Amino acid sequence: MIDIRSDMAEAQAEAWRRIGHCGTWWSGLQRVEIAAETRRAATCALCAARRTALSPAAVAGTHDTSSSLLPAAVEAVHRIRMDSGRLGIGWYEHLQAGGLSDAHYVELLSIVAIVVAVDTFRAASGLPMLPLPVPVAGEPSRRRPAGAKPGLAWMPTLAPEDRSPEDPDLYRDSPGPRERGGGNVHHALSLVPQSMIHWWDMFETMYLPAPAMRDFSREYRAISHAQIEFLAARVAAINQCVY
Amino acid sequence: MDGTSDVGVDHATLLGTFAESALATAAEPLGASRARLMEAIGEAGMIDAAAVIAGFNGITRIADATGIPLEVPKAEQTAGLRATLGIDRFLEAKS
Repeated sequence: MIDIRSDMAEAQAEAWRRIGHCGTWWSGLQRVEIAAETRRAATCALCAARRTALSPAAVAGTHDTSSSLLPAAVEAVHRIRMDSGRLGIGWYEHLQAGGLSDAHYVELLSIVAIVVAVDTFRAASGLPMLPLPVPVAGEPSRRRPAGAKPGLAWMPTLAPEDRSPEDPDLYRDSPGPRERGGGNVHHALSLVPQSMIHWWDMFETMYLPAPAMRDFSREYRAISHAQIEFLAARVAAINQCVY
Repeated sequence: MDGTSDVGVDHATLLGTFAESALATAAEPLGASRARLMEAIGEAGMIDAAAVIAGFNGITRIADATGIPLEVPKAEQTAGLRATLGIDRFLEAKS
């Protein structure tokens, strides 16, 4: 039996469980549907055809799906899962025209990323896939941060200095100094603070929290800082990520 | 051979192959690359490597699906390197 670091095992289990709970914009049932759709995309015939096409927009068709999600949401899940390196703002705006709001999109993206990360980790480690989370009843809060502003990304983001007392501590300002927010990617999910927290609470146990990332006086993992960054760069190149 | 390679990172070749196998872009089956990496760096090392690969398989999607830009100082510092490696050409494929 493989022994997994307890902090990471607990963070992944918590992130998985929280997928089934009501979010800010989607219900627990819808969030589990997004998770299921993320897995289904891997065998979608349309996605496979688009991946090999010079331009994904040149291949028409419908995705293999059995969910009740809006078609724009299904398109978002499948493209993010299967061809994220070729996403552009034109594609994103098309989703919005199809009825998928910016906040719904951000929360959906956080779920896709968590499912991709957990499934990839378990496959790489030789562990079986987890069953989908159990949906829990509840009503989305639909609370949008008042200080979110357009400009940095395709959708508005909430900068640390624009956070109000009503917003959760998404940048880990307490007890200080601030632990998140040094890189633009920290802001990416900030339009939905709970989704940002959902992702980063898990991701930091798989990679490194920012203070540990910058501390070269010791190693925090069983592989070195250099090995960690080598792997990160390799994955970014494979996924054609320009960030 | 420890696979350190010319990048100066211990076991770089084994780590790189493991990443490629995990993301289904390597010729070597995942089980084989996992076993070779474990033999070289141990189970805890393999687990942490799997975690980094998996975490970045998620966060690259977050970056690409939000259009978040690279920080200006980083973009300036890496401009030459990015041009040499052809990374900026990825931008041309976006739609």
